[in-house]
Amino acid sequence: DRAPAGPTAHIHSGILQARDFDDPPGLMEKTEYLLREWVQMHHNPQHARDPTKAFSIFVHQMNIHGILKTDDLITRFFKLSTQMCVDLCYRALSETATAPSIMRAKCFHSLDAFVRLVALLVKHSGDATNTHTKINLLNKVLGIVAGVLLQDHEIRGTDFQQLPYHRIFIMLFLELCAPEPVLEAVNFQVLTAFCHTLHILRPAKASGFCYAWLELVSHRVFIGRMLAITPQQKCWGMYAQLLIDLFKYLAPYLRNAELAKPVTSLYKGTLRVLLVLLHDFPEFLCDYHYGFCDVIPPNCIQMRNLILSAFPRNMRLPDPFTPNLKVDMLQEIAHAPRVLTNFASTIQPLTFKKELDSYLKARAPVTFLSELRSNLQVSQEAGVRYNIQLMNALVLYVGTQAITFIRSKGHAPNMSTIAHSAHMDIFQNLAVDLDTEGRYLFLNAIANQLRYPNSHTHYFSCTLLYLFAEANTEAIQEQITRVLLERLIVNRPHPWGLLITFIELIKNPTYKFWSHEFVHCAPEIEKLFESVARSCMVQKQV
Amino acid sequence: GVAPLGPVPLQREHQLQFQMMEAAYCHMPHPSDSERLRSYLPRNTCTTPPYYQQVQLPHSDTVEFFQRLSTETLFFIFYYMEGSKGQYLAAKALKKQSWRFHTKYMMWFQRHEEPKVINEEYEQ
Repeated sequence: DRAPAGPTAHIHSGILQARDFDDPPGLMEKTEYLLREWVQMHHNPQHARDPTKAFSIFVHQMNIHGILKTDDLITRFFKLSTQMCVDLCYRALSETATAPSIMRAKCFHSLDAFVRLVALLVKHSGDATNTHTKINLLNKVLGIVAGVLLQDHEIRGTDFQQLPYHRIFIMLFLELCAPEPVLEAVNFQVLTAFCHTLHILRPAKASGFCYAWLELVSHRVFIGRMLAITPQQKCWGMYAQLLIDLFKYLAPYLRNAELAKPVTSLYKGTLRVLLVLLHDFPEFLCDYHYGFCDVIPPNCIQMRNLILSAFPRNMRLPDPFTPNLKVDMLQEIAHAPRVLTNFASTIQPLTFKKELDSYLKARAPVTFLSELRSNLQVSQEAGVRYNIQLMNALVLYVGTQAITFIRSKGHAPNMSTIAHSAHMDIFQNLAVDLDTEGRYLFLNAIANQLRYPNSHTHYFSCTLLYLFAEANTEAIQEQITRVLLERLIVNRPHPWGLLITFIELIKNPTYKFWSHEFVHCAPEIEKLFESVARSCMVQKQV
Repeated sequence: GVAPLGPVPLQREHQLQFQMMEAAYCHMPHPSDSERLRSYLPRNTCTTPPYYQQVQLPHSDTVEFFQRLSTETLFFIFYYMEGSKGQYLAAKALKKQSWRFHTKYMMWFQRHEEPKVINEEYEQ
């Protein structure tokens, strides 16, 4: 993982401290006593009306017991308190005779008090304008809780309970998002601290915490702060990273399409989050679609469609079923979409990138094309033969270069200007030279760019149709059809560019779509095509 | 589902992760875990027959809706749902219906008739 430096330094030192058991003698007892005192004070109705007064009394007590003498003692106090709260929860949860709501109330009793203490200490550490001390303390505490969690997860194994940690994190987050000037001044750093912590606790690292983790990541206040309230989209990158963590974790289970109940449940939750994002923050999905599609397995059609269907809210998409829709005439197709992933840097090794660039420039040597396949292939084993990330990066890079190239010559990309260039050489070579598996991934990489009206959508739509028209075997055409069709026979939403491309393919006579054998290979497939065609044609007569 | 690239057996690492996830699946987070403690009306989820109302009525979180509720209902919401949006809306609705909250007695008051004495400090 990341080296413990920079803003995460305090989180990492907190994690390390959670494993340090050399507490000075008597500290455990002191902590226990103080924590119990605080829990009582916190729930005392007298103090409930004036928490700051209770807090100052308590800080005085902490002082008397020497807890505030050194930073080391303070962090040890936090560690022991966390462990005590967690132990209390385990005890409460093991009382199977108690009603669940009472059991939970018992857990929350001490957890909430502890969280309030942390929040108050963070708020009041240093003077009012000293944001550093506050944030350092917060990072430290988050690190300690994360460290205790990881250790607990490792030691208890399948007996691990998510509840105490889930409660600590969400309640602390809500406390620190309260509408108070002191907190508002540090809100961005608070969000950063929680994101780093959640990234450290991603499902791949703490799978026993995955459901609570998803609840935290998808909590309405968290999403609101990350994607809406923080200005200049400063938190978008961090939130995208958390989603990538989730997709990466799900990938090996999803690709096998054998969904056990625990996976299904997490998968459904993921779909719901994506739906919320598609509805409320489509621009976020637009900007990060590349990074998401890079880690989502090729067979997760609907999940990817949710991401690819996103389009900026100020845009009105023409109905794909409009007869004689002239895509070339749309103004939007001149504009490139924002891609916030540095895909060009994925093209590795650097020598390959250099050869690629020089081929795009000189359209030579031809050996570059014949060696392409070996550059993309990573193993001989079926199913995992290719470097998917490299394939995706290569396709988008060559495509964006092609658009620039065509524009530099004063043309706009269309069916004739995209042909006969170094860029198209690469695409045609990939279509012809790759085996079924490689071609499937290649065509998927293209189809991932078929989204709302923009220059990439238009270019890749033309490219796909060109590859179909110029294909030397029916196998290529069949595979192009397959990639498009399999993305359309799932439930909505369907990306606009995908529909446009498919409708063009079946409607435009130049592609002689209906004369191909694979269209008539099986009666159910034929029916399927007819029903899709009917849905396009009916609209035509209206 | 289909796996166009064919299934790949789960690696040891993923099997271990799955075991932990399976265990976590048995004690899923509860809605109340990420909510403030409800002392009087804790969440008590149970399956109800589908022919009963499963979701709240639309627009039931507006002051207009709360103003249509009886005073008793508003008092109940006010005292039993502390710190919620419901409590806030109930207080707003009560205030609109000329109820005033006495912070010392922690009770709502409404005039029966015009007060006998009104001055800057108090009414009687």
